[in-house]
Amino acid sequence: MSLEAYASAKRDEIHTDVLLQARQACYKARDAFYSCLEKHSDKKPTEIGSVGLLYPTECKPSREDYVQNCRVSWVKHFDRQYCKTKRTQRLLDDKETRRGV
Amino acid sequence: MPIYRFIFFSAKHRFAHASNLLPRFGSSKRIQSCGYTKSAKNNYYKKPTGHPVVNVETQASRSSGAYFIPPILLGFGGLLAFLHYNDERRAVKIGKDSYTGSDTAVAPIIGGPFTLVNSENQIVNEQDFLGNWVLLYFGYTSSPDIGPDQVRIMAKVIDTLEAKKNLKVLPVFVTIDPQRDTPAQLRAYLKEFDPRIVGLGGPVSAVRQMAQEYRVYFKKVEEEGDDYLVESSHSMYLIDPKMKVVRCFGVEYNAEQLSKEILKELKKHQVNA
Repeated sequence: MSLEAYASAKRDEIHTDVLLQARQACYKARDAFYSCLEKHSDKKPTEIGSVGLLYPTECKPSREDYVQNCRVSWVKHFDRQYCKTKRTQRLLDDKETRRGV
Repeated sequence: MPIYRFIFFSAKHRFAHASNLLPRFGSSKRIQSCGYTKSAKNNYYKKPTGHPVVNVETQASRSSGAYFIPPILLGFGGLLAFLHYNDERRAVKIGKDSYTGSDTAVAPIIGGPFTLVNSENQIVNEQDFLGNWVLLYFGYTSSPDIGPDQVRIMAKVIDTLEAKKNLKVLPVFVTIDPQRDTPAQLRAYLKEFDPRIVGLGGPVSAVRQMAQEYRVYFKKVEEEGDDYLVESSHSMYLIDPKMKVVRCFGVEYNAEQLSKEILKELKKHQVNA
């Protein structure tokens, strides 16, 4: 497609779910879900989210809220990031309990 | 007759002597051989036979080695001298200038001409930016977290530089997701950060060409139909008024550090120009 054709074509639809309001709502829902996870970290995770993230049933409503407010690819991105930070944290904390290993 | 007897007797005597001696020698020899074979068998066997041969050999090598050693040494010395000379020739002397005259850009030469469409649906090329300092960022509107953060930092830097130092730097946002980021989308997105940010998009081929010139890596990941993320290097380029890339900043810079660095580059450029 030539440049002129691109410039003149009518492209008016805007993805509003990435604009400021939507982003902030998504971040809020995400933070609520993750804090719920932290709060119930002692419970056994039975539900499965995306990319292998497990969470207990107590957090199911906040999970649904989170998934509704954010795009699927964003949910996967944040979940992956969360798992990574959790894993590195676990590795860092574990140092004290496993000396010499 | 007595002569024969004498000879015979002497022979016998001799033989008797010999026979007397023989057992003794034999026994001693046997003892000797026992002792030696047990401990240093090779030496015992080799020594009496090897000596003359070894002697001859060493003598032979010494005489022929004497012929070989000086040339070898000379050759080695010559090689060392050549290497030393080569090193001196190739080394850039301390204090002397580098090969290129201007060294405002320590990075490889990146950048080049481009032709894109801005958020007002106008066709824009790099000539339109000549004469301005430009802070260029390659991103996309559907970025979950890094994109918005970087654009926010860019807006803050522009504000800081203009308010405190009265320096105008033009912020430009080029989308690496041109299929979803239409001019209208760019306009709506960038308006929320700063109205001065120029958004550029266009057909995929034009964007890809510009990204190649600026050595920007971008790739669609997590694709699920229309919903995907674009992996990229998330770096900002500082471009001088002659459209030459001066510096590249990664995500590790926050707004204050970035404004400080940009100020440094601007001052350096004013000193040189």
